[in-house]
Amino acid sequence: MSVRRKGRFVGRFILALAAFSAVFPFLWTALNAFKNRVDIVTPTPLFFFTPTLDNFAYVLGRGSVFQGLTNSLVISGSAVAIGAILGLPAAYALARYPGKWAKDIQFFVLSLRFLPPVAVAIPLMVIWLELGLYDTRLSMIVTYTLLTLATVIWLSVPAFQRVPREVEEAARVDGYGPYAIFFRIALPIASRSLIGAIAFSFVLVWNEFLIALMLTTSDAKTLPIVASELTQLGRDVPWGILNASVVLLSIPPLLLIGILSGMLNSAFRRKN
Amino acid sequence: MKHKSTLPAVFLSPALLILAVLALVPTVFAVFISFQDRELSRPDGRFVGLDNYLALFSDRRFVNAIGVSLTWEVLTVGLTLLVALLIGILMFEYAGPRWRSALSLMFLTPVILPRVSAAFVWKFAFHPLYGIITWPYKAITGQPLDLLSDPATALGTVALVDIWQWGLFFAVIVLKLLETLPPQPFEAARLDHARTWQVYAYVAIPMLKAPLISLAFVKMVESLRAFDLIYVMTRGGPGITTETLDMYAFSQGFIESGRISYASGMAVLMMIATSIVFTVIWKRTRA
Repeated sequence: MSVRRKGRFVGRFILALAAFSAVFPFLWTALNAFKNRVDIVTPTPLFFFTPTLDNFAYVLGRGSVFQGLTNSLVISGSAVAIGAILGLPAAYALARYPGKWAKDIQFFVLSLRFLPPVAVAIPLMVIWLELGLYDTRLSMIVTYTLLTLATVIWLSVPAFQRVPREVEEAARVDGYGPYAIFFRIALPIASRSLIGAIAFSFVLVWNEFLIALMLTTSDAKTLPIVASELTQLGRDVPWGILNASVVLLSIPPLLLIGILSGMLNSAFRRKN
Repeated sequence: MKHKSTLPAVFLSPALLILAVLALVPTVFAVFISFQDRELSRPDGRFVGLDNYLALFSDRRFVNAIGVSLTWEVLTVGLTLLVALLIGILMFEYAGPRWRSALSLMFLTPVILPRVSAAFVWKFAFHPLYGIITWPYKAITGQPLDLLSDPATALGTVALVDIWQWGLFFAVIVLKLLETLPPQPFEAARLDHARTWQVYAYVAIPMLKAPLISLAFVKMVESLRAFDLIYVMTRGGPGITTETLDMYAFSQGFIESGRISYASGMAVLMMIATSIVFTVIWKRTRA
């Protein structure tokens, strides 16, 4: 009995420690974003201080950050929209018309993820340079569509497979054609999981770094690149501003966490 | 009736066409420029055959990068799975439904953060003078602790951030997998007076073998994307102790000399290696 109790105590202690380690580092960064430089550069960490909004005001007032933010929103948003418009129908076709090619196609889509990003970025850099499209939003949208389209397809196939076949059969009996069944039956029923798939592909390109680093130099720089440039500043580092820009970069993905954990839940629901 | 529908062709062809073009054109082009001697400053290259590839094999920095990349893969895949199993099982064993969903939400936050953010958060936490993690060491010994500048600890410290992101995320998945298992085998094992760890080691984990192998596979693929963390935290340093293949290819093609063809040769070799290895593993585990 007492062994069991001791085990439970230790187990819960480890869980508490893990939970603390999961959230504390980012919370600490968020806290530092509201500090003046003198309160960050202290020999002992400060938990109580006079908060300031100067860091955020500076970050949001900087042209480069604002440009990075709009670039990120336009590029990620467009790539995700194209990925969803083309990817959802493709995923439905793979889920509902499993011909002999379906497995190979699915493997092809998955295998795109095996490509090392640097192996895609180097040749694309040369291609965009030669086409005169280097460092433009258009080239970034096209490049990121490779990521969003593959991800949307890959994650949506199981979502469509979970739509009960009987519902689609009933609609067919009622005289719906194959396209009407997709738009008016399958799409609405699977919508919750599909939104999760789309949100995931957004987070993926919003967070993407290596390709953006190699394919942009000034005009089309995305927010992760701008933020990383701030983190490489020289000796007299403006720590507060750095923390604020990291927080700003992290807000959009964190806003989607509810949708993403909902997608996880429906993917692993007990099968019976 | 339904295979006569035009739907599969109409729905599949635009997406597949775009994917094929976007994937094949860069791949073929990478091979093409790897046979040239292009540089960023001088775009018209001559064909030099296999020179880039031959040079790579006598490039000690390239050999070093292969070693760093392999170490990184083994370290992050192994420890991620270990952390995931430990935390996932602890949640299943000791947390009620409410705590499970609260913990799951907390464990998802690290992986959702942009890698650049995660890298910076930890880089600052490990800062020898102002870092919150190094502070206790500094307070006790009076010496600053600079893990990221020490060749012995730099790679492990960066790997810690990767494991922090993926291990906790996979712990949530391990929990969900355990929840899908039928309760009878657990009860039978308990009736036979199996200890708690025995129940997991001999009943639960063998039952979850297939999905756990899939998780390992996903992590192997995702561990290739080490670049963001390394770029922000160490830039491959100190020296070249954390220079992975993608970091080296980047610095050859971009920063140091702009030897785009040389970097491309490296990228092609990486592409061939990962494609072969992952395809074999995938087909093996699915067969």
